[in-house]
Amino acid sequence: MLANYFPVLLFIAIGIVMGVVLLTAGRVIGPSRPNKEKNSPYECGFEAFEDARMKFDVRYYLVAILFIIFDLEITFLVPWAVVLDTISPAAYIAMALFLFILVIGFIYEWKKGALEWE
Amino acid sequence: MSFQLFIFYVFAIIMVFAAARVITVRNPVYAAMFLVLTFFTAAAIWMLLEAEFLAVTLVLVYVGAVMVLFLFVVMMLDINVEPLREGFVKYLPVGILVGSIMFLEMVFLLTQRYFPSENFPAPAAKPANYSNTEELGRLLYSDYLFHFEVAALILMVAIVAAIALTMRRRSDTKYQRPGLQVQVKKEDRLRVVSMDTESKS
Repeated sequence: MLANYFPVLLFIAIGIVMGVVLLTAGRVIGPSRPNKEKNSPYECGFEAFEDARMKFDVRYYLVAILFIIFDLEITFLVPWAVVLDTISPAAYIAMALFLFILVIGFIYEWKKGALEWE
Repeated sequence: MSFQLFIFYVFAIIMVFAAARVITVRNPVYAAMFLVLTFFTAAAIWMLLEAEFLAVTLVLVYVGAVMVLFLFVVMMLDINVEPLREGFVKYLPVGILVGSIMFLEMVFLLTQRYFPSENFPAPAAKPANYSNTEELGRLLYSDYLFHFEVAALILMVAIVAAIALTMRRRSDTKYQRPGLQVQVKKEDRLRVVSMDTESKS
């Protein structure tokens, strides 16, 4: 069974080789004459106002967590879709109920304005 | 050494190295990136165990979604590393307790004294066209329908909880309401007051 995944291994190997070779070639061949001004952070010409590590709005977190929840649905939908032609009608209805419950959650977040950015 | 064993060792070494770097690297963003690498190599090792659906799910859900969340959290915390190191001594006893429990569990498993591997024989090798996902689907959508619906409820509770915890109406944002703007009447804007004429005095 694992032989089916040999191309994936090849892809990983080629990806690593490409990344390493291109970066080292750039490092080795390209000219590198750094000085203090070149290495300083550039912000439209003036001195940087503040540290780059500022606090993010908590709303990014909300969007990310909602994304994870709907991403998790995939893990249920894929096995269901694969065996769709052999399972019982009850399983079909169960998936409809599953999606219905999640759509309730989706309507809740929509109505609550969690998707609005303001 | 077979090719499969060689691949296992390559991924296992990368995984141990990445997991060690997660807790030793100074920058928390790099730590999150090393955690991505750890998940990825763990997915490869699961794949070697022929758990293909789990491996793909680990990449899809953990690397694709959960780590994005981790990165947001890491960036949202005001990362000045010095204050983060302050509570080290205070949390040391709890850390040692949890760490030693995990260590003991691993010792019990690996020394094979209490859980000898003869009791848990390896499953027979599957033919090339065997689909892990199909087996999982067949089982999940026949015997475990109720648990499946419970999972839906848990996910919905997670949606509601996330919204309840993080939704903040900002009071300082101003925006237009076109519906109300259209419905406005002449009387709402202009009021004609009848009054006596003023006389110069």
